[in-house]
Amino acid sequence: MFKPQRTDTGNQSTAALRNLADEELMQMMRRGHAAAFEVIYDRHADAAFSLAYRMCGQRALAEDVVQEGFLALWRSGARYDRTRGSVRTWILGIVHNRAIDALRRRTVRDRGRVGDQGLAERLPSPQRTELEFARQDEAREVRDALEQLPEEQSRVIELAYFGGLTHVEIASILDAPIGTIKGRMRLGLAKMRMTLGDPAEVVQ
Amino acid sequence: MSGDPIRPGAAEGCDGNAAPYVLGALTDAEHEAFLLHMGSCAVCREEVASLQSVVAALPAAAPRLKAPRELKRKLMAEVAEDARRQDAAERAAASPRASQRRWRVSFRPVFAAPLAAGLAAIVVLAIALSGGGGSAPAKVIRAEVTAPGASAYVTVSDEHANLTVSKFPPTRIGQVYEVWVKRAGNPEPTDALFDVTSRGEATVEVPGSVRGVRDVLVTAEPDGGVSVPTSTPTIVAHLE
Repeated sequence: MFKPQRTDTGNQSTAALRNLADEELMQMMRRGHAAAFEVIYDRHADAAFSLAYRMCGQRALAEDVVQEGFLALWRSGARYDRTRGSVRTWILGIVHNRAIDALRRRTVRDRGRVGDQGLAERLPSPQRTELEFARQDEAREVRDALEQLPEEQSRVIELAYFGGLTHVEIASILDAPIGTIKGRMRLGLAKMRMTLGDPAEVVQ
Repeated sequence: MSGDPIRPGAAEGCDGNAAPYVLGALTDAEHEAFLLHMGSCAVCREEVASLQSVVAALPAAAPRLKAPRELKRKLMAEVAEDARRQDAAERAAASPRASQRRWRVSFRPVFAAPLAAGLAAIVVLAIALSGGGGSAPAKVIRAEVTAPGASAYVTVSDEHANLTVSKFPPTRIGQVYEVWVKRAGNPEPTDALFDVTSRGEATVEVPGSVRGVRDVLVTAEPDGGVSVPTSTPTIVAHLE
């Protein structure tokens, strides 16, 4: 029977854990296995930080968001349901929600502040692994699908998803009726779905 | 703008909220209302499921950055401290007597005084959800919650109740939320144990009839549930 080791972060243990799938690590993590959590973090921290930084535009705030998100994951690992998507999707969903909360706590004036783009460290040239190629392909496809949308549709999707704005705020900013904004969101997402061919899951 | 739809939603009466919902663009009030709506609208559930697959891919569009090294150090320090606290709590909870004593001390004041400053007032809205001819209108009861920013509703219809929670914090490792019903005496355990999603959401049926039930309670308990509450309720819904 598996014996939980809450603070086992020894090199040998971690090296063995790196061969396990995310879902197996989540099973261990829910039993309090800190080393399993660490491997999960190492796999997905860059993607989580990239998303948080894209949304928040400030390194310190993005760090807070990622830290809160992963702590929530550590404390709620039992809540993960593999039928609802991959571990990566689950983690990025948590980070996205935390970033929205953080953005909405900020004042309107804060939101207008220029971010500190350029202060975050760009990822070095990724290892030329099959997984990395797949992730780069996916990123390119998603960006292309977004760019192929009519501007008014991509704009509302970006403002909502990456900007953390409500549809009411977007309607105000763009001086358009709320129903129009909702319609653009729906049409844009539907077109992206057709372009991407039902991306049921992001690359692990 | 030409090409924009006049009709925003996929189905009449749905307000076109599926897309803003999956993008996280609804206000808090709209978010809660849409969650309740989805419980009875298959069209919206289907549309949400369809659009969520696209939204799951959107993070890939963000420029790829490296997470700061110090972030991992801070995080792992918190995790180690968390694990230490968890160990201590489990040792303290090992004694059944200690558990019951803690319950008696912490549970009673919940009913003697407000849960905490800022708790939402009880709002009872009698609204017909089904609109079906002849059936009694469902009663939606807003529950008192201890978690800041969270909300919970109990929908009662034909002596059966469903609990819907939103923006609820996850429980600690090894814990689960347990639903209790309180009639005249002590809270009675139910089989309803639940987890919240990454959005802090859950919908759970309160088992059995709620005839005579005064309160529906929720506590965080060890995995598998317990027969006697060991923590202060995080949700209290007064049905009567």
